[in-house]
Amino acid sequence: MTASSELEHECFPTTDGEIAAVNLESARRRSWSVFFQDPCRDGAADIVLEHERLTAQFVGDVSALDRVETLAMHLAQTDAGSARTALVQAQVASMVHRFAEARQHLAESARLGAPSAEVDRLTLNIDQADWSNLDSVLDQRREIAEKSGRLDDLVALGALLADLRDCTEADSLYRQALENYQDVSPFPVAWVCFQLGVLWGELVPEPQRLLAERWYRRAVDCLPSYTKARVHLAEIYALSGRTSDAEAVLSSAIGSGDPEVRWRLADVMASLGRSADAEAHLQAARRGFDALLGRHLPAFADHAAEFYSGSGKDRRRALELARVNVANRPTLRALEQAHEIAVSAGDAAAASELLADARKRWSSIAAFQRSPLANLRAAMQGAAA
Amino acid sequence: MSDHIDGPRVIGDPAADLTDLFAFTSPENPDRTVLAANVFPTCGADAIFSNAINHSIVVRRAKVAGLGDAAKFETTEPEIRFSFRFDVLERGPADRKAIQRGTCMLPGGQTLRFVVNDKAGASTADGVFRVFAGLRSDPFLLAWIIPTFTRFQNLLQNDNVLCMVVEFDTRLVLEPEKGSLFAAIAETVPLPRPGAFVSHEPPRIDWVGRPEQTNILLNNPGLRGADDLRDLWNQQTPFAVPDALRTVFLDRVKESLANWDMRDGKQDWTPGALAAHANVRLDDHLLFDVAKPTTDASHLEIEKSTLDGRSYQSGGGRTVDANVIDIMLTMMVTRDREAVRGGATSATKPGTKAFPYFAEPNTNLQTVADTINLNAPPDKVWALIGQFGGYWHPLIADIKLVGTGVGSLRILETIDGKRIVERLDAIDEAARSYRYSNIAGIPASNYTGTLEVKPNGAGSSVEWRAEYLADGQGDLAVRTIIYTLFKTGLNSLKQRFGASQ
Repeated sequence: MTASSELEHECFPTTDGEIAAVNLESARRRSWSVFFQDPCRDGAADIVLEHERLTAQFVGDVSALDRVETLAMHLAQTDAGSARTALVQAQVASMVHRFAEARQHLAESARLGAPSAEVDRLTLNIDQADWSNLDSVLDQRREIAEKSGRLDDLVALGALLADLRDCTEADSLYRQALENYQDVSPFPVAWVCFQLGVLWGELVPEPQRLLAERWYRRAVDCLPSYTKARVHLAEIYALSGRTSDAEAVLSSAIGSGDPEVRWRLADVMASLGRSADAEAHLQAARRGFDALLGRHLPAFADHAAEFYSGSGKDRRRALELARVNVANRPTLRALEQAHEIAVSAGDAAAASELLADARKRWSSIAAFQRSPLANLRAAMQGAAA
Repeated sequence: MSDHIDGPRVIGDPAADLTDLFAFTSPENPDRTVLAANVFPTCGADAIFSNAINHSIVVRRAKVAGLGDAAKFETTEPEIRFSFRFDVLERGPADRKAIQRGTCMLPGGQTLRFVVNDKAGASTADGVFRVFAGLRSDPFLLAWIIPTFTRFQNLLQNDNVLCMVVEFDTRLVLEPEKGSLFAAIAETVPLPRPGAFVSHEPPRIDWVGRPEQTNILLNNPGLRGADDLRDLWNQQTPFAVPDALRTVFLDRVKESLANWDMRDGKQDWTPGALAAHANVRLDDHLLFDVAKPTTDASHLEIEKSTLDGRSYQSGGGRTVDANVIDIMLTMMVTRDREAVRGGATSATKPGTKAFPYFAEPNTNLQTVADTINLNAPPDKVWALIGQFGGYWHPLIADIKLVGTGVGSLRILETIDGKRIVERLDAIDEAARSYRYSNIAGIPASNYTGTLEVKPNGAGSSVEWRAEYLADGQGDLAVRTIIYTLFKTGLNSLKQRFGASQ
């Protein structure tokens, strides 16, 4: 059975991705319209946020983050001191990965009487993002997913389990989410396909590129504007020597403004020997990352660290950025990335410090045993003995 | 809004979100009936119908089965069904806009192909049926802040919707000699899963009968802490809400109607009448009688007269220009003792007398303006921002100036890689102002921007203004882009020069 036929049997036909992207843009405008008419209207700012989140996630439009900052700023002027404004500010801060600030706004919104269900929901999201109260987050996610069975709840649990390297259960949850889906919007379907691609391409102990490629391709087929899926698909194409496929997949995403597209294109051009094109894309990627880091450092620190440790050729900067990411959300993945960059930068002290940090924080969880850092620990212990 | 954004599920795909249903006698020809349904509230100029949805308008014959506190309407099969489906976009040459085609399946299985946004629509060879689908001005008028029951301007001013219209020969299609009262609903249902069993129908996404069944009745914001039943309601089968859930919905509608009755502090509905009203409301379909006249005032007259224990006089239904919210609120709050009127009396554009009866979409000249007061003299501020090719805006990564003086072009590259090209149209150094046009990069036509620095006490005031016609992406996308550019730019001046009051 091909991935395509699998997907067809797992969910209802969804709206054509091109139509959905155009209509998302319309819906996004609608939400701004309602907001501008009456910023204090119930739910107006929340719907703007939801549409901007979708735009950032599925169209790769990084300026969505600037727009949500504008939204929070506007709301702070027009409806200062309300629980609703504090809640929106918390969501915006969370969206741009300023988790500490988000928690402050959340606390303020709770103090001002925001609905506890909303405060709890966002607290759970933030806890999951920065791995605070991990056991409790997992318990809550399981309870919510079991109770609602909704796609977003199943995917949230699946994503957490995938991060914890429980890949079998994560896969099962993602497939259940597809099976249960009864709507026509392609966004959730593309999202699940993307998650399955990441799971099989990056998180399982022995990545299965072909399987990951199929899921990424399904995500792109479902939603051609899905820039992140294009970038991941292109990476797989490039790794398997299909550079023209990689170029085609990336070229149509340049307009998104996501610097990762230019970075991967630079790599593809370099492998094709088109060094002038590669350099032009590399410059654009560097400019794009620098601009984003200037405005949204925590949100792009990990991606930029990856860029600078590779094609961006600035490992010192990469390590600084990886450390910023670890400070902001010390997940196992963040620590693994920072450690790997420290090693590649030849900074043994930083690598050792990061390994110790990872061990201190996460050696008690099962996921750590499946981490490359666990073997290093064993190696270090062996060396010490 | 009538049925706009009325449940968590429809937020996922706004093209599945039904806003309104209409039934009226054709203003062009009294022998013809018009049914119409709208989806996708406040869409931009490029909005498109989903290709994964079956959109249907369904009509059943109805009859009055009880009067007064026993008021009841019964409907009978067979159904007369009009179903609209839409294709994916057709890409023509690069310089041509993509088009969408659709198909309307008519009662009896005949199909009619049409092109979306072709206002002439398409007709069957015998002229019995005519259909249209496309972008139109939203005829809905909501001039209230519903939670607080406060008059307001029309919240849907300048909004557009995607509209489906079917017009037909009343006598041939509805056979009114067998009974002239009908009940209509509209629904959106996903297309079936490939290979699914025939009996396994996809769950309904949205449906609508009378206006505001969901947003004002089931989810009355006046009922604090009540569960949101809209999603559950939308998934029920029209004309056949199961008994097990009927009680849940009926209790909510009763509670909601009682709440509305007391919004003006006066009780106009007796408990018996209120219970009858709730029963009538729970059978949520738009009643219309093709043997009687439908007018802008006839909406709900069939229900009101029946609840009052007398024969109805009009065709009921719902015309394009009916102010359904005020009619509904007047009925619920005062039982027609006193008219309840919102803060506006007409929608953005009235309906038309000719097919397709819904007005052209809205494209009005829009303005965005922002001002900041600074702690620096005007000359100092002008020295920074008065150069057309000056580099001072934090969202601009690069700027190139081509030419000099009036007519010169500036090519801006934003920090997220977008390119904007603007032409200097006029500059007045003495008045510290310049005017420019956007050539490319902002999805608007007739875009004129003005930047001006004025004295303001010991400091200065900077005003930045743009007027434009939304072009292709609709007003709000453009408004947001411009607003963000202006706000960010002016705020950066505050950091540089300090803000004053």
